[in-house]
Amino acid sequence: MSLSAARPAGSRSWVRVVTPLLSIVGLIVVWDLAVRIFSIPKFVLPSPGEAFAAIFADWDSIGRGLVATSQVFILGFVIGAALGFVLAIVMSSSGILYRILYPLMIVSQAIPVVAIGAALVIWLGFGLAPKLVVVAMIVFFPVLVNVLDGLRSVDPDSINLARAMGAKPWWTFLIIKLPATLTPLFSALKMSATFSVTGAILAESMASTTGGLGVYLSTMQGRFNTPGVFAAIIVLASIGLLAFLLISVWESQATPWRRTSVVPRRRRYRDSATLD
Amino acid sequence: MSDVKVELRDVSQRFGGTQALSPTSLTVRRGEFVSVIGPSGCGKTTLFNVVSGILRPTTGSVLIDGVDTTGKPGHVGYMLQKDLLVPSLSALENITLGAKLLGRVSRAQRDEAARMARHYGLGDFLDHYPHAMSGGMRQRVALMRTLAFAKDLMLLDEPFGALDSQTRLEMQQWLLRVWAETQSTVLFITHDIDEAIFLADRVVVMSPRPGRVSEIIDVPLPRPRDVDVLTSETFTTLKRRALDLIYGRAVGALDTEGDAA
Repeated sequence: MSLSAARPAGSRSWVRVVTPLLSIVGLIVVWDLAVRIFSIPKFVLPSPGEAFAAIFADWDSIGRGLVATSQVFILGFVIGAALGFVLAIVMSSSGILYRILYPLMIVSQAIPVVAIGAALVIWLGFGLAPKLVVVAMIVFFPVLVNVLDGLRSVDPDSINLARAMGAKPWWTFLIIKLPATLTPLFSALKMSATFSVTGAILAESMASTTGGLGVYLSTMQGRFNTPGVFAAIIVLASIGLLAFLLISVWESQATPWRRTSVVPRRRRYRDSATLD
Repeated sequence: MSDVKVELRDVSQRFGGTQALSPTSLTVRRGEFVSVIGPSGCGKTTLFNVVSGILRPTTGSVLIDGVDTTGKPGHVGYMLQKDLLVPSLSALENITLGAKLLGRVSRAQRDEAARMARHYGLGDFLDHYPHAMSGGMRQRVALMRTLAFAKDLMLLDEPFGALDSQTRLEMQQWLLRVWAETQSTVLFITHDIDEAIFLADRVVVMSPRPGRVSEIIDVPLPRPRDVDVLTSETFTTLKRRALDLIYGRAVGALDTEGDAA
């Protein structure tokens, strides 16, 4: 129990950085070998070298697409996560609200995103708005469910204890409940980071005529330009990967009690007077 | 100021159609250590929730220091078998939780909490998260939190119930030391008869359906108490009396034979 902070053996920091990098390099090596050994033609599967070359060859379009897609992805992600988080707190605060809202939340997920997307284009046109709605709809549900779980994981006796100490609900929320939502929140964010790239592409293919990697992907597909398709795939995978990494780093900063035994330096106790 | 710390006047509690606690009156003196024992369903925890103010009794009133605190929380320290430490806070931050929950921990409160924690053997753990501490250490932090919040009246509900017997004995002696030094008033719930007698000045024996006080046993054992009082004749006599009250004569007699063997 007291060893729950221990990491698996051999986990010095450079090992933890290098190992995952190696596995990605390994994937690229296997891809390259497969193309060479089975002599797969370029229009079926380009080699990694050809795919990367296609990124640089068409960087003007891909770079612009990257900016447009990232905008949809990031804004949609933030809106969806914020919405899920706030809804979870609202729903957990009252049994009636919970029972009214929960079925609606399920319905919102039961409707295929593509179907809603069709309606959104009619309502909102081809601008940024329908795309943000699609991404936000994908992100908000895992966040909502996980944060609700986190709030429910707080022992009711802890809340009773806070009440017995005369605490106001706001401080109880801030000090006891909020930290308990962080771990499930970050799990949801990591999951959503990859989902919402898919969401952004899907939204672009439904509600875009110009810009965006989703549109680039369709164009390349239409021209049977397989290296172009893979160029887009690599860039998209990188967005998801980078988002995942950033969220993981943020998580480890935000929940120090899960990785160390001692509080961060600035929170450690220093005597104000002389030692007694 | 009078000698009485807590006074319960005909306190009773109904939950729906069930009488959880019959009208109960109890007076606890300032600085007294009172244990409460009884089988499950005897209303021990209800009684505690009423005294702590988080439960408003159906009838009767609670007076602390002569002031009516019926249904008003914030006057007593409260501790359960579960340590209820906040995982994201250090030991010291958990100790000062009461002040933190009111919005601000002053420098003086922090210093006082740190001084107390060091004095009672937690000096090396001030900045540790709960997960990095043993069960016994966590319970010490929980008790320090209780003390820091309300030094003069503490409600302890089976605080050592989850600890192994050796750690538990250690913690009991540690608690007696804390109690003696802080001169606080303690109400201590337990299902362990030995623990109840070893710690207390008086043992309140409760019986179930409906929950009520069946007898209050005085414990005339001298203080400070060491582990050898557990085998003294007075202790055995008191234990026999308590067992008789809880399990009825027949079982009590059997158990006493077991003790003698």
